Amino acid sequence: MALKTQLFQYHEKHGHMFEFAGFQMPLWYEGIVTECLAVRNGVGVFDISHMGRIFISGPDAEKFLDHLTTNNVAALKPNHAQYTLICNNEGGIKDDLVVFKLEGRPYLVVCNAGNRAKDLAWISDNTRNYDVKIHETSNEVAMISIQGPKAASTVQKLTEVVLSSFTRFDCRFIKVGGQECVLSRTGYTGEDGFEVCIMNSSIDEPRQALSLWNDVLKAGGEFGIKPCGLGPRDVLRLEAGMSLYGRDITESADPLEARLDFVVKFEKGDFIGKEPMLRKRDQGVKRKRVGLKVVGKGIPRADCRILKDGKSVGTVTSGTFSPILNAGIAMGYVPSEYSNVGERLSIEVHGKSLEAEVTGFPFYDPKLYGFKRVQ
Amino acid sequence: MKAQEYDTPDGFYYTKDHEWVKVEKGICRIGITDYAQKSLHEVVFVDLPKLGRVSRTDSLGTVESVKAVSDYFAPVSGEIVEVNKTLENKPDLINKSPYGDGWIAIIRPTSLDSELTELMDSKKYSEFLRSLIEK
Repeated sequence: MALKTQLFQYHEKHGHMFEFAGFQMPLWYEGIVTECLAVRNGVGVFDISHMGRIFISGPDAEKFLDHLTTNNVAALKPNHAQYTLICNNEGGIKDDLVVFKLEGRPYLVVCNAGNRAKDLAWISDNTRNYDVKIHETSNEVAMISIQGPKAASTVQKLTEVVLSSFTRFDCRFIKVGGQECVLSRTGYTGEDGFEVCIMNSSIDEPRQALSLWNDVLKAGGEFGIKPCGLGPRDVLRLEAGMSLYGRDITESADPLEARLDFVVKFEKGDFIGKEPMLRKRDQGVKRKRVGLKVVGKGIPRADCRILKDGKSVGTVTSGTFSPILNAGIAMGYVPSEYSNVGERLSIEVHGKSLEAEVTGFPFYDPKLYGFKRVQ
Repeated sequence: MKAQEYDTPDGFYYTKDHEWVKVEKGICRIGITDYAQKSLHEVVFVDLPKLGRVSRTDSLGTVESVKAVSDYFAPVSGEIVEVNKTLENKPDLINKSPYGDGWIAIIRPTSLDSELTELMDSKKYSEFLRSLIEK
């Protein structure tokens, strides 16, 4: 049985539908390339209600989250959010999350769609020694994402928050388009953008979510806003060098080899998975997640073999065509000795060998694209 | 002709894998059909075949969109004498003009008369498409 989000009515009418993590979602509306370019050059809006939204409250909420996640929750300022990981007892990645510290309100944790049940069980199982309350709200709260260089101009029309002083990873409980929302300057495209949790909009009564979705489309009209599916979302996040859970990161990868150790704070005290991770760090990281850009033509796909001098050294975990680079790009794990930028490897695609070069993240020039672009 | 929203022009021969053949003065121009390009949507890459001998049903390469990869096969046996190099930089010609500027290759056929009987004309291919869509 396929699940639906609060915005299903809109997608069914306008989108090219497919199933993702059990949900009926739009793959695209007009086309993946068209929608990618709308986000890179103007603005696009995505339904991300399939993701999980869990509120965590109680006197021990901060201590509990610091035990559960790898980043430093105690260091988080009110009305600020952080990217983080939860790991299993062996130090493997259980999920990647964003934790929101909302002033005077419970913490909000946003997790991947495919991990909703797994994370909720893991979070609940680890509350034993903590005075906390867990409230799963994914079916009562919708979530949309507005991304692109024109995202701020679009969202500014719908909120009183002065967005020029609302910086990356800031978050607020505030009205957007007249609805109670959690607004944050976050996203999964590499561009400047916002994610909005729309409170009081359940799967059965999604009026408020549909209403805000339409308000955003209207507000972005002058910038050529496009509704975007999960197809462009996948291309955009890959161009930005961001991992997709279930493909690029799984429980059999640790944060060090996945190169996500910038959100692992070993100095903060004990957390789940810390000891095995420290042991791995001391032993040396044997393989690393790298970006690969095809030199010439051809599109690498997930599960293609990565070769060095004809010998298999790894597997592509994500691969696609980048419309802005007009080239095939991929992510995968290779032995550390082949992980340096500029290393020449090849990728086996449809029985042919494509030459590829190890690149840094993001794949694009950050002066031309992404939230650090020079205007 | 048309089968629902898919063009199936007269004067072409068609395969069940959605390639077309146009016979022109002893040579065959080949490509993929309107149904094939619409199923792929925005084409971003065409892996063109090498020049040389091919047999009917040999895999010649792939036509790819961001999310989908479709193999295409030789609709007739013979020798590939030319490929449409323009597709290297403008793969979207397959979407814009699948039966015209989006052609993929030219084959000098070796057993055309017998092989043409294996292919469908516009009327048969339209019926075939309708039966596919109704499934």
